[in-house]
Amino acid sequence: MLTGSFNRLAVALAAAGLFFGGQSLSLAQTDTPSVIWQKQAEQDVVLVKGLAAKATRWSEDQWRKAFKVSVESGDLTSSLSLPPMLGSYDIGETSVTFTPQFPLTPGLKYRATLQLQRLPDYPGKPALLSSTHTVPAMVVEPTTIVQAVYPSANVLPENLLKFYLHFSAPMSGGHIYSHIHLLNSDGQPVELPFLEIDEELWNPEMTRLTLFIDPGRIKREVKPLEDIGPALESGKSFTLVIDKEWRDGRGAPLKETFRKQFKVSPPDRSAPDPKKWAIKPAPAKTQKPLIVTFPKPMDHALAQRLMWVTDADKKHIAGDVTLSDAEKRWEFTPNQAWQPGRYLLNVQNTIEDLSGNNIGKPFEVDLFEKVEKRISSETLSFPFEVK
Amino acid sequence: MKQLPRILSTLCAAGLLVTSASAANWTEGMKAGKADVKSVSQLAFGPEGILFIADSKSAAVFALDTGDKKATPAATLKVEAINGKIAAMLGTSADQITITDMAVNPISHNAYIAVARGRSASAAPVIIRVDKSGKLEAVSLDKMKFSKAVLPDAPVDGVVGEGNRKSNPRMESITDIAFLEDRVLIAGLSNEEFSSSLRAIPFPFKTVANGTSVEIYHGAHGRFETRSPVRTFVPFKVGNEPQLLAAYTCTPLVQFPMKDLAPGAKIKGKTVAELGNRNRPLDMIVYQKDGKDYLLMANSSRGIMKISTDNIEGVESITAPVGGGGTKGLGYKTIDSWTGVEQLDRLDDKLALVVRRDENKVMTLESLPLP
Repeated sequence: MLTGSFNRLAVALAAAGLFFGGQSLSLAQTDTPSVIWQKQAEQDVVLVKGLAAKATRWSEDQWRKAFKVSVESGDLTSSLSLPPMLGSYDIGETSVTFTPQFPLTPGLKYRATLQLQRLPDYPGKPALLSSTHTVPAMVVEPTTIVQAVYPSANVLPENLLKFYLHFSAPMSGGHIYSHIHLLNSDGQPVELPFLEIDEELWNPEMTRLTLFIDPGRIKREVKPLEDIGPALESGKSFTLVIDKEWRDGRGAPLKETFRKQFKVSPPDRSAPDPKKWAIKPAPAKTQKPLIVTFPKPMDHALAQRLMWVTDADKKHIAGDVTLSDAEKRWEFTPNQAWQPGRYLLNVQNTIEDLSGNNIGKPFEVDLFEKVEKRISSETLSFPFEVK
Repeated sequence: MKQLPRILSTLCAAGLLVTSASAANWTEGMKAGKADVKSVSQLAFGPEGILFIADSKSAAVFALDTGDKKATPAATLKVEAINGKIAAMLGTSADQITITDMAVNPISHNAYIAVARGRSASAAPVIIRVDKSGKLEAVSLDKMKFSKAVLPDAPVDGVVGEGNRKSNPRMESITDIAFLEDRVLIAGLSNEEFSSSLRAIPFPFKTVANGTSVEIYHGAHGRFETRSPVRTFVPFKVGNEPQLLAAYTCTPLVQFPMKDLAPGAKIKGKTVAELGNRNRPLDMIVYQKDGKDYLLMANSSRGIMKISTDNIEGVESITAPVGGGGTKGLGYKTIDSWTGVEQLDRLDDKLALVVRRDENKVMTLESLPLP
């Protein structure tokens, strides 16, 4: 949609001391070119037409100096002090087309300015012409919600390492931490509980944010914990709040503020032990799930990514994984019915529980006396039989 | 956004340092064309105007031959409302852009600013060059000579694509990048595993594939070895020994020798300072003043810390808790007047270049005398 209008720039010209053409383009005459906003192939472009000479008479560099497009920033003087927009100039015989490098932003007003006196030896009347174009603001209904927060349990260990926030649609990033709060049982915010990093740990689609608890508030013997204590305290209750003012990828706020209340249990510094996991195979010739139950909740993302099923020859079995029962129950539903035989449940030892402890190695290890020379990342396999 | 320490860069600029590295053809393996950069997380300059671009979305590092290698002395610089000016160039409003990093070309002393245009998953990466007169110009990624190194995926990714999951939600954000001698050093933070990865990739990149990359983990601060990620780091030298100083997200400052970096190695660093609560490191530079060595660290508490590293060899590793609000290790002071510093690099021997943000979210690019 075009909302272009043509203006006389008396103020700007007086300020800039420029020669004033004095023609309103709505009354365009043959010797006055026009500046026209158009949509071409779904993109907003600006054209200069009706020149008194062939446009090719001037170089691209000369056109860049004479024909500029900029964001309107309120007053004209400050608009003129801003650098022009990046874009390409297509110089034809009778017209010049400016295509912005990036799509225009809804809700903003743009101004294209042509200063004919900047085209050397322009044969027609020198004039300053301009045309504005406002991109309509998008009206977007708030529909996006916080779909889930993991861990889903309502009792979490004091040394909880992270939350995963799952949104129903792609979100927007940049200064997100002002929308995330941890409140104590009095409703007072906990000071700086999260690791706030500019990089913002999103998945590629920006539907999941990983929120680490400030590691300085979890680890023993580091100064923040010594000085001000943990972010979460055993025995107390907390609420994680996600403000609805957070905008989604379309620019709409969330449909509602999200709250997750939970209680805090003592810190967990024990490594997960797969020997304590219960593996319950499904009957052969069915597509019922293989069920693995953990004695304690596991990390939602890692339990999905770092556990998989193979046959006895280590060939992958395709299927879907779901987690339930506060991430203590892992279910694998194969794409095709189970065949009788031996299978393997494979687990990478870097899988973590809620406190970042992984198999065979708690989050914190006393290594004062010895340092392991190599990093070990290995896969553990647990056989089971389908009958 | 790291430069070589002063002495080294001075020698390089003067052409006095003839090493195997300077004999190397730094643009070896580069091809002209469109560099398919999906995001610009971090910037760092290498030799001869080569700009390293860390692209978290692509899990890759690009080396771009900017051609910006005409030696010119640094000058004081101040560009007010730089975020508004960049937004105008990109045809949008200041709230729709994010400045993700800034690096100074140590040869030309032009500043390079990494910008994300837009705040959604489709945000476009842009690099803006600011010259000494304060003029802004977009750096084209379409035509320059470049090479690319894809990062090896740190943890073994057993199932993606084959088994359970159709798409991989795991991403690694590159939190810092630096060039030292003939290696690009990369610190990353995963959005799933809470692990520290610090990689060193030989440059020029030998192949586009990950074959030549090495992968380095390290840990240790004090008694407890943990998997805390490195937030930012800076290469420097103690005597002739190249070292890294790494600031962790949980605030210890750890030193370790570069020679210990070897594929799969696990290094026990030396904790030389504990910075304490609210000090979340963003950027570090090293410099000398009056013959003494210093480290300048920007942190998110909106102050800046000046840390004396002169006695770094003599400092004993902190192996016991530093309680009661006290400090141990290297001494430091907070410079309150440098408020709102979000990006920091060294402009020359006397000046730092910073991007500061005021209460009204207006950002200024300016040079400040090194304290």
